Amino acid sequence: MNPLIFTTILMTVLLGTMIVMMSSHWLMIWIGFEMNLLAIIPILMKKYNPRTMEASTKYFLTQATASMLLMMAIIINLMHSGQWTITKVFNPTASIIMTSALAMKLGLTPFHFWVPEVTQGISLTSGLILLTWQKLAPMSILYQISPSINLNILLTMAVLSILVGGWGGLNQTQLRKIMAYSSIAHMGWMTAVLVYNPTLTMLNMLIYIMMTLTMFMLFIHSSSTTTLSLSHTWNKTPLITTLILITLLSMGGLPPLSGFMPKWMIIQELTKNSSIILPTLMAIMALLNLYFYMRLTYSTSLTMFPSTNNMKMKWQFETKRITLLPPLIVMSSLLLPLTPMLSILD
Amino acid sequence: MMTYIVFILSVIFVVSFVGFSSKPSPIYGGLVLIVSGGVGCGIIMSFGGSFLGLMVFLIYLGGMLVVFGYTTAMATEQYPEVWVSNTTVMGVFLLGLLMEVMLVLYVLKSEEVGVVFKFSGVGDWAIYDTGDSGVFSEEIMGVAALYSYGAWVVIVTGWSLLVGVLVILEVTRGD
Repeated sequence: MNPLIFTTILMTVLLGTMIVMMSSHWLMIWIGFEMNLLAIIPILMKKYNPRTMEASTKYFLTQATASMLLMMAIIINLMHSGQWTITKVFNPTASIIMTSALAMKLGLTPFHFWVPEVTQGISLTSGLILLTWQKLAPMSILYQISPSINLNILLTMAVLSILVGGWGGLNQTQLRKIMAYSSIAHMGWMTAVLVYNPTLTMLNMLIYIMMTLTMFMLFIHSSSTTTLSLSHTWNKTPLITTLILITLLSMGGLPPLSGFMPKWMIIQELTKNSSIILPTLMAIMALLNLYFYMRLTYSTSLTMFPSTNNMKMKWQFETKRITLLPPLIVMSSLLLPLTPMLSILD
Repeated sequence: MMTYIVFILSVIFVVSFVGFSSKPSPIYGGLVLIVSGGVGCGIIMSFGGSFLGLMVFLIYLGGMLVVFGYTTAMATEQYPEVWVSNTTVMGVFLLGLLMEVMLVLYVLKSEEVGVVFKFSGVGDWAIYDTGDSGVFSEEIMGVAALYSYGAWVVIVTGWSLLVGVLVILEVTRGD
């Protein structure tokens, strides 16, 4: 793509999310979502093969439907409150429709079907933008309307997302689909605590973005999109192999790595609100997630996966230099001792 | 009848939307879009917005739809789909019509039926009055407000349109 056009379109994706996060008028938020959607389509279609076109089409259709539902909820809100500001949603119907629309944008169950298919069809870098940056805008709106969200609907979607994210990822060997199901599960964790303490949603979002960014960059560094090609990294860069182990275990939520911090805080917040069965179920279902992360680490770092002998001695081309990787790896694994600092948050 | 003119025009609006959403060939979609544009202009004019209605006719129908019609005419096939040629298209159209009929009956006879969401009659289609505008037409005040208080909206929508053109060119360019 022409570099100037590519920069313009990428900046428009950023501008769209910024408009969503900074606006106080519902119409501007909708415009921000549409701008974001429109501008990310050519980024998803960077390579011109039928698979990326199909993935972009699926993404466009689902997100456009979500924007339509959002507009309907905005108009119902306008009808019942007579104003356009985002304080709270004044009508329960509008709140339910808006929650469903934002759940479609995030990829929560039962609207999760597009996430693995779209993530699989696009390149690793585009998948990275899709699973991290695109989650910021809908989550910021959920944060802003969190006092008026119907708890039953949100918690049902959250728990089902954790279940589907864990269960669906079990049968996958393609790394992008694994990351997609991991994203569904993490979105479930984030929305589960939204009504109780939205700050923890933001904390979880922050740590999730760091971990997903790290994972994708490790995949980009070793140019691997399947478990099989990831299992050859011990030969090329053994350090990356170790870091894959650490980051994957952090994503699974194991102490003493930073991935444990959001899960711990969320379970604590839920039990403070006298729900015990729910966090127990969520923690048990997070084990499903941990299982397929462990399978990745097993085949990559802990054992020498079976391969033909000529795969064990590969040509070394020039190593990709990813500048941001060391700080990201440190942040996605060593942040747990900073948990007492959370008391300074709102 | 004049008290219900907005309601009738809105029903025709929705029916024509159903007409092109049931996806006949784009030529026929454009035809129905003309009808819906005209009816939409009628709705806006019933609220006193004659400038905006004429804007719909001039820019939307007379500019964008004409260009759309020309490009579709260049790319059309020998036997384009009509509403009655394909079972799926006719089925979707009839389903949309049925839903619209049920909605109209619900709006008109809302006292006898109890549902989840109340429309409370046709009265809710009125615009909300934000202040006493006195002798000025609200519609012209709205246009003036768009270019003064709403400068940010103009910038954002202008940028969206520009990026829309860039995106479409990029997507259709191919390798």
